[in-house]
Amino acid sequence: MRGRRSITLTAGLVLALGVGTFTAACESGDAGGGATANFGADAAGTLTAWAFDNADDVGKARLGYAAKALPGVTLTMDQTGFDAQKFTARLASGEVPDVVQMDREYVGTYAAQGLILPLDSCFTANQVDPAQRWYANVLDDVRYKDQLWAVPQFYQPPAILLNTTVMRAAGVTPADIDTSKPDVLLAAIAKMYKASGGVPTTLGFNPQAVGQTYLWFVAQGGKLVGDKGVPTLDDPSNVRPLELLKRIVDAQGGFARYKSFTDAFDVFGDQNQFVRGQVGAEVDAQWYANVLAPYKDKAELSAVPFRGSDGKPVAVAYGGSFVIPAKAKNPAAACKWALRLTEDGAWNAAAEARAATRAKDKSVNTGLFTGSPGPDRAIREKFVKSSGNAGFDQVVNTFYDVVATGRSAGLSPAGQQLKQELTTAITTTLLGQKTPQKALQDAQTAAMAAYTSIAGG
Amino acid sequence: MPAALRARKYNRREAVAGYLFITPWIIGFLVFTLGAMIYSLAISFSHFNLATGRMRPGGLDNYRALLDDPRVAGSLRNTLFFAVLAVPLEICLALLLAILLNRVRRGAGFFRTVYYLPKMTPAVATAAVFLLLLNGNTGAINRGLRAAGIEGPQWLVDPAWVRPSIVLMALWGVSGTMVIFLAALKNVPRDLYEVAALDGAGPIRQFFAITLPMISGAVFFNVIILTIYAFQVFDQAYLLFWRDQNNVAPESSLFYAVYLFQQAFRQFNFGFAAAMAWLLFLILMVLTYLQVRIGNRYVYYEAER
Repeated sequence: MRGRRSITLTAGLVLALGVGTFTAACESGDAGGGATANFGADAAGTLTAWAFDNADDVGKARLGYAAKALPGVTLTMDQTGFDAQKFTARLASGEVPDVVQMDREYVGTYAAQGLILPLDSCFTANQVDPAQRWYANVLDDVRYKDQLWAVPQFYQPPAILLNTTVMRAAGVTPADIDTSKPDVLLAAIAKMYKASGGVPTTLGFNPQAVGQTYLWFVAQGGKLVGDKGVPTLDDPSNVRPLELLKRIVDAQGGFARYKSFTDAFDVFGDQNQFVRGQVGAEVDAQWYANVLAPYKDKAELSAVPFRGSDGKPVAVAYGGSFVIPAKAKNPAAACKWALRLTEDGAWNAAAEARAATRAKDKSVNTGLFTGSPGPDRAIREKFVKSSGNAGFDQVVNTFYDVVATGRSAGLSPAGQQLKQELTTAITTTLLGQKTPQKALQDAQTAAMAAYTSIAGG
Repeated sequence: MPAALRARKYNRREAVAGYLFITPWIIGFLVFTLGAMIYSLAISFSHFNLATGRMRPGGLDNYRALLDDPRVAGSLRNTLFFAVLAVPLEICLALLLAILLNRVRRGAGFFRTVYYLPKMTPAVATAAVFLLLLNGNTGAINRGLRAAGIEGPQWLVDPAWVRPSIVLMALWGVSGTMVIFLAALKNVPRDLYEVAALDGAGPIRQFFAITLPMISGAVFFNVIILTIYAFQVFDQAYLLFWRDQNNVAPESSLFYAVYLFQQAFRQFNFGFAAAMAWLLFLILMVLTYLQVRIGNRYVYYEAER
């Protein structure tokens, strides 16, 4: 009797509490892959857009421009950020938006499954030559199996910001912060690095090992993605960048202490790592120059390009993009809307809005990095003026100088998982848990499992 | 009408009324729990991609893959470690707080509210606070330890300390368990303590001879519930380590539910994820059965007096 009661009680409790782990209500349906769309049709009717979550002055100006250019379109927006789980649920329900903004590194995942439309005919039908409109590396970010799967936007190249005050005090020159010469770089790091009781107080060089993953690997001669988007994390060329990162981090207290130290930075505040002298040099994307602009007179800044193993400046970064789901109800309007948002007129409107904002704030206009060479040039010439601070002007100019050196890390169906596995490989190596080779091998196994699962081998 | 017949009729009416009252729950359970479970069992025998809607039979492929995938075993190990550490600690801490609150006379309501507040805090906010508290260099916990002459660990980075840091965060929400203990403590007859005191029993003896046996039902309930929750732990690990791909996430923070989520929503492997869910269900069934069998020997049920 007691035994039966035990079983009943057990089953009841586990049933009531245990099933929360997996209760996704699902619905079978057609993938819709291979669906075709008439992108040449007039843009009209209702257009539903999701994840256009950058509606600041720049975003609003572009939206206003697109609305004027497409008067027959009624736009309904969901401005919440892109979320893979939410997108999956929406795809399963069949109730998808017409256009979705997502990071370019995730486009391959949906392209490989036929969940979004290839957009070559969108470009052709609207007389847009992608090679003219976007940088080659930006297009490579959304190219899968020789087709373009997204309308790209923004490309904010990384470079190395220098804290001249810290460097000068340690006798380090900008030429010493050279990522193509590890020994020179490590010597500079050793001069600038300071610790108290084993805890870092000043980093010589913050490599942003996890935040700038693609930069480190691709620029240092590594190869992350092969043909057809197959992950190649265990490629022998990836060992060198990982070993270099380990040397840099080990020279500054080891990964655990380095990570805890950088986690405590007041990145967006007036006590940021440059003002407080917590870094001598740091890899940063262009947007961080905007953050530092108000503090240009509190920290003496300059910049140098990130150099590849061949000694040449190089920049690797993804950005945003617009994709059109295969089940979109109004793909023609979606295509035209995305193209309008990324054409010269839209960027000019955005640049004017940004200039007005900066004038109102009495702050520095560091320009916009649109992903398109034409607007980038035009905006730089028309709106980017001297800030009155030579060091900061040099920072702005450095980012503009490296924008043309961009390389793409490639597009893989394993997108999200590839990044996760690479990050895990970096972490386990920097923590000393695995050798670079073993960490990359394990990462490759996991990334390949994801690739096979998504792309079907 | 004979009294026995009247009583039976009354009992039947009462039963019908009872069932009517719980009908909404039964419908919800059948549709959203049992229905979803049966569906997940079905898709665990298939290769199913929720996003594309494509499903093809998979036989036992997903269950075989559970054995082949080292991360299944690894994440189970991490989860087991968490459960073994978190459940006893949470029980002890909750019981200690409940005993303290039970003794408070003046301002009892205030203290109960204060102690319950952490349970009301959203997990995201709690995680944000713990990211600061647990920073190995500048976090308040290590600063406190440093003041006492102890060099604290790198909680969020050192693989050996990642799981204990998640346990610490889990302990923050101990007040739910505490409330159950407090209710149980309130039901312990005061005269038992008076008699024990007359017999010369001190506070510790009273605790083990009276309090613990009298609240054994609540302890038993909490152990089972917390064990099930511990095996399903997701929020804390996900928020601290896995919420985006730029996070540094040591492998020791990969808990079973997090890996299940990754399989379902990042790799679109719903069949495999469903098989993982059923494996967890079976593990919990066995564990709970054992707990019930063993626990029943020690639990005092008032109704069985």
